[in-house]
Amino acid sequence: MRLVYRMVLRTLLILFPVMTLWGMLFYHAMIAEVVDETDDSLEDYSDGIIRRALGGDDLPSISNGSNNQYYLTPIDEAVALSMPQIAYSDSMVYIIEKGEEEPARILRTVFVNDMGQHFLLTVATPSIDKEDLIRQVFYWVVFLYIILFLTVVAVNTVVFYRSLKPLYVLLDWLDGYKVGKDNAPLVNETSVTEFQKLNEAAVKNAERHESYNRQQKAFISNASHEIQTPVAICLNRIEMMMGGDGLSEETMRGLGEVHTTLQHISRLNRSLLMLSRIDNGQFSDAAEVDAGAIAMRYVESFKEIYSYKHLSVTVETSDACVIDINPTLAETLVSNLVKNAFVHTPEGGSIAVTVGCGSLRVANTAEGGRLDDGKIFERFYQGSKKEGSTGLGLAICSTICKEFGLELSYGWSDGMHVFTVSCGR
Amino acid sequence: MKILVVEDDKSLRQIIREALEGEGMVVETAPTYAKAVLKVEDYTYDCVLLDIMLPDGSGMDLLDHIKQIGKGENVIIISAKDSLDDKVSGLDKGADDYLAKPFHIAELIARVRSVVRRKEHKGEMSLTLGNVELKPERAWAAVAGQELELNRKEFDILAYFMARPGHLVDKQMLAEAVWGDHIDQVDNFDFLYAQMKNLRKKMKDAGADVEIKAVYGIGYKMTKL
Repeated sequence: MRLVYRMVLRTLLILFPVMTLWGMLFYHAMIAEVVDETDDSLEDYSDGIIRRALGGDDLPSISNGSNNQYYLTPIDEAVALSMPQIAYSDSMVYIIEKGEEEPARILRTVFVNDMGQHFLLTVATPSIDKEDLIRQVFYWVVFLYIILFLTVVAVNTVVFYRSLKPLYVLLDWLDGYKVGKDNAPLVNETSVTEFQKLNEAAVKNAERHESYNRQQKAFISNASHEIQTPVAICLNRIEMMMGGDGLSEETMRGLGEVHTTLQHISRLNRSLLMLSRIDNGQFSDAAEVDAGAIAMRYVESFKEIYSYKHLSVTVETSDACVIDINPTLAETLVSNLVKNAFVHTPEGGSIAVTVGCGSLRVANTAEGGRLDDGKIFERFYQGSKKEGSTGLGLAICSTICKEFGLELSYGWSDGMHVFTVSCGR
Repeated sequence: MKILVVEDDKSLRQIIREALEGEGMVVETAPTYAKAVLKVEDYTYDCVLLDIMLPDGSGMDLLDHIKQIGKGENVIIISAKDSLDDKVSGLDKGADDYLAKPFHIAELIARVRSVVRRKEHKGEMSLTLGNVELKPERAWAAVAGQELELNRKEFDILAYFMARPGHLVDKQMLAEAVWGDHIDQVDNFDFLYAQMKNLRKKMKDAGADVEIKAVYGIGYKMTKL
């Protein structure tokens, strides 16, 4: 969930009950006021009638055309005393003018004239108008409530989003950040202290990462260089010993083994150096290279070398596979893929190389099952340990492809490993 | 033949000295840039083996210096860096060859010989051992003056051994030299044995007085009968 939505939601969760309560209170206050006003007008009406009755003036007609009406009834003193002097009530009243019963607000007043006669004055006003008013008030309250609610949501969203913009700029930058690549500098002007600090921290962290990355690369490269000389010395010593006469076959074979192992170390070193050189962009100059032609060349060469395995090798070319890549690395990439196929295919298996539509596909019969897609391009991962294999071949291929924007994928179909290099176009 | 070895690593210096002296060459050594400059200025050598990374300077600068003072020494760069840039700039500056560490002793000797020979002959180069003669540039080989019909691989193998007479050549080394670096993981050398068998038969039939001997299944050695 995005922070903006979370914040808006939280604000609303708090505002919702508060605003509802506020709306209800407002509504009730309005109603009370309306009732009060009605009662006041009834009281005025009633006062006028009482004043006339007591002054002996003519009483107004029972119904004065305004739907208000009154009844003046003389009552016994005993009854008068038992009643409150003023009482309000709501009940159905027969409206003479309309000729039907309607809900009304009623005021009953008990008064006594100077002759000691008690009267009960009942004045009534239909509550229809009041209810209309109350309904209107209710609708308006609800309507304004919704408007207010929506306004709060909109304003919150806009304000939060505007305020958090530097955060999103920073996040976008971090998303696009690749260690060891050319990254655009962070452009994120902000006057908010927190965001300034966040920017600084992000940039500092990225720089630290870059520095670690550089150090690690430098370490691998230096370590490999430093190892080359001692390995060279060992290799050469052994070669000199083996070149001499008079060694027994056993000694000779032993030396041969050591020699082979040392060559393996040296090869490993070279591969690591190769990896760090590609990573360092030392092979950045690209040219158009026909990967299909390279593949054909290596297939021919490996066919001769691995003829003892009796593999059935097919090469299908439907279209040229021309890729933009450093020519040296193109050789490495293609030869590694083709070599892998030949090395890892069991005797009597088959290899299919398909060239076309900007892609190169190398499939070979698997010795075991499907390989782990996630690990296969990692350094030193080997499905099955092969003597003399560095475990770096596919890591190098993957690094080369990344460097030149090519896609290297592994698939599995009908008991065959399938490696495909395709250019993004 | 007088060789100067500029290399800071003592053991490697020692090995190169022994190896070259074993071939009958006169070897001088210099462990630092400063000592190398003195030697180069005072004496003349047929070939200088130059390490790029020296404790007190770069071999590249020494190469510049050698060319500046107008000495016609052959220079072979030996470097642990094995980088294309070094190779290209070294050869641009006038080095005659480039050898990446680790290298095989037989390879080093062959390169030194080849560089010196190229300088001496200036024209067509030819390798001779016994009654076998080989002209690498023309892909021509002959036994006792009689041309030997060889296929491409057989010729390359023969050329490789002719440049390294008397040296044990590991079969892996030979395969990489003739077929290419990409065969580094091969675990069956039948393809090599097949070519080898044909080559040896052709040489024997032609009456060559040199022989490529198998050494305990490890490799081969070319010797005069």
